[in-house]
Amino acid sequence: MIGWLHPGLILIVGVLLVPLFRGKWKQAYLLVLPTMALIDVIFMYMGFFGDIPYSTWTLSFLGYEFVLGRVDKLSLIFGLLFTLAPLTLVIYSLHVKRDSEHMSELAYVGGALGVVFAGDLFALYIFWEIMAVASTLVVWHGRTDKARRAGFRYILWHILGGIILLAGIVMYVQSTGSSAFNALSWGAGIASLPSYLIFVGFIINAAVPPLHAWLPDAYPESTVTGTVYLSIFTTKTAVYVLARGFAGFEPLILIGALMTAYPIFYAVLENDLRKVLCYSLINQVGFMLCGIGIGTALAVNGAVSHAFANVFFEGLLFLCVGSVLFRTGTCKCTELGGLYKAMPLTCAFCFVGAASISAFPLFSGFVTKSMIISEAAYGHMGFVWVILMLASAGVFHHAGIKVPFFTFFGKDLGLKVRDPPINMILAMGIAAVLSITIGVYPHSLYQFLPYPVDFVPYTIPHVVSQLQLLLFASFAFFVLISTGLYPPEQNKINLDSDWPFRIFGGKFIWFCKQPLMDFASMLDGGLRKIASKSTLLAREMEERVFIGFSVLLALLFIALYLVVGWIHVWLTH
Amino acid sequence: MDDVIIMAILSVLGFVGYVVLCFAAKEPRHRLGNVLIAIYGLVLLTAIVSGLFVNWHIYFWWESLVAFSAIYGFAACVFLIYAAKGLRLWLPKEMDYYEKKEGARK
Repeated sequence: MIGWLHPGLILIVGVLLVPLFRGKWKQAYLLVLPTMALIDVIFMYMGFFGDIPYSTWTLSFLGYEFVLGRVDKLSLIFGLLFTLAPLTLVIYSLHVKRDSEHMSELAYVGGALGVVFAGDLFALYIFWEIMAVASTLVVWHGRTDKARRAGFRYILWHILGGIILLAGIVMYVQSTGSSAFNALSWGAGIASLPSYLIFVGFIINAAVPPLHAWLPDAYPESTVTGTVYLSIFTTKTAVYVLARGFAGFEPLILIGALMTAYPIFYAVLENDLRKVLCYSLINQVGFMLCGIGIGTALAVNGAVSHAFANVFFEGLLFLCVGSVLFRTGTCKCTELGGLYKAMPLTCAFCFVGAASISAFPLFSGFVTKSMIISEAAYGHMGFVWVILMLASAGVFHHAGIKVPFFTFFGKDLGLKVRDPPINMILAMGIAAVLSITIGVYPHSLYQFLPYPVDFVPYTIPHVVSQLQLLLFASFAFFVLISTGLYPPEQNKINLDSDWPFRIFGGKFIWFCKQPLMDFASMLDGGLRKIASKSTLLAREMEERVFIGFSVLLALLFIALYLVVGWIHVWLTH
Repeated sequence: MDDVIIMAILSVLGFVGYVVLCFAAKEPRHRLGNVLIAIYGLVLLTAIVSGLFVNWHIYFWWESLVAFSAIYGFAACVFLIYAAKGLRLWLPKEMDYYEKKEGARK
């Protein structure tokens, strides 16, 4: 009898059987996997395996105890999120025929669940790497040359992050003697180096600028469904481990605030809607990190609930853009427009996602993000508050207006398409219903949060100020676009913080391939020339020496003969 | 209970304003374009007027300015778009920028 069933292992082991099924049975089996994991998490909530919090399930391997099952309110809400979301996404991707795509996606989810329930740092590291490898496979399923290249750049970033994390973990275990993963300690001295290394490993996965470039680079290169998976798990696991290990770590407040502001400029510039959403994702994770940095019960609750709501509303936007891509074959602003008549349902869902991410009252973003911003106000952090409000207006501009407007409205390009298949609509419907439910009835989410909640999002001042902010941001857009001052979209790529790596990395490889190899072959050729010349010379010398020596010897003999002859003549006289 | 109704009406109005804006913002207009613009204008007006009757919780001095959130939202959006326009001077490159950089050396 096993005391506890690991939801991540259900997926990781379960995906191995996917190729055994065919047709409808495969679809049924794909639905069963996340459903079983979800039921497992619900059983945990119901106390089927013991009261919460409990930490029981360990695995002994080579004399080391891996804690695979640490269950408390923080890991449970992420467990719930990471089983509810893949269930929605499996429905969305039911039409996909390729086994390997489903397998790498669900193994990736399994890795994320493993990280969430890991109670010790080595178990965490193992699942962290499973996630990195599986997500790279998801990127490569884009099956284009661009996807292949972007996948290599992606895995390089994650190998770097993984190595830094592992170094931190080894040093941490060495210095503290314990590998339990709880709140880490930090200070100014060198003694805190292990914690800082672990921190850097974590924030690479959270896509903190300037370590974020892998995200908008690789995510949009995957398939229609793969991109949605990618947008959820890597960054949210990073939010989880930071909430667990670094709640109240003050630099995170500033890191998070700047992280909300940096990508909004790129989102305005970007033409590819999936890239716009990737920058928007970085912006959203910034809000969460800011909440974790503030570290009070309300702020951490805000960060966790925002992560939960974000998966569904950001996911919903990715699902809608994915549906448009699926039907039209493009997701570029310059190639889209006027689709609201052709794809009315997708358009409606897109409005729900866009209103939620912009934090309109009655939608989920409003009741989660406001916990973080309010806590910044209660703490009188003026600068942070101003940045977060700027970022809120920014996210409304690019995700709230740009995504629906340039896809479904604007100029009508007369694209002859229709709404996507029923499974995709159903998945978008689930995400939309969750976003509205959380927004209208916040308690449905608040009851699952790690700390008790006494926050009331719906007050008249809060609703009115939020509406003023959003509506007048939209008014600015209205003024600029109707006077023709709004800069037109351009089909270009935008340089980001990976520019030095890609240029100088490329230059370095070119340097190794061309001048260095030329120099080596020149040196090689030169040495060979010298060697062959010297052999020749030696051979020539040898001849000359031989002749010379023989001549010398002959002369010597003649001389000797003459001398001996002369002595002989002299003696006989 | 009154507060709940007021908040619900304002929230729904706000969402309606946002949706009609998307329908009517740009040529070619929706055939009801002018009506939609009128609705949008009314919603903006409602947001400002209702703000005059609210007891604000003040955490920062600037929040006590009249219609601060509206001004900030408008200014933030204009700043953002023009800052991004400025960034266009050197950030955007041709789609095959990196490939060319690599190809040129082959």
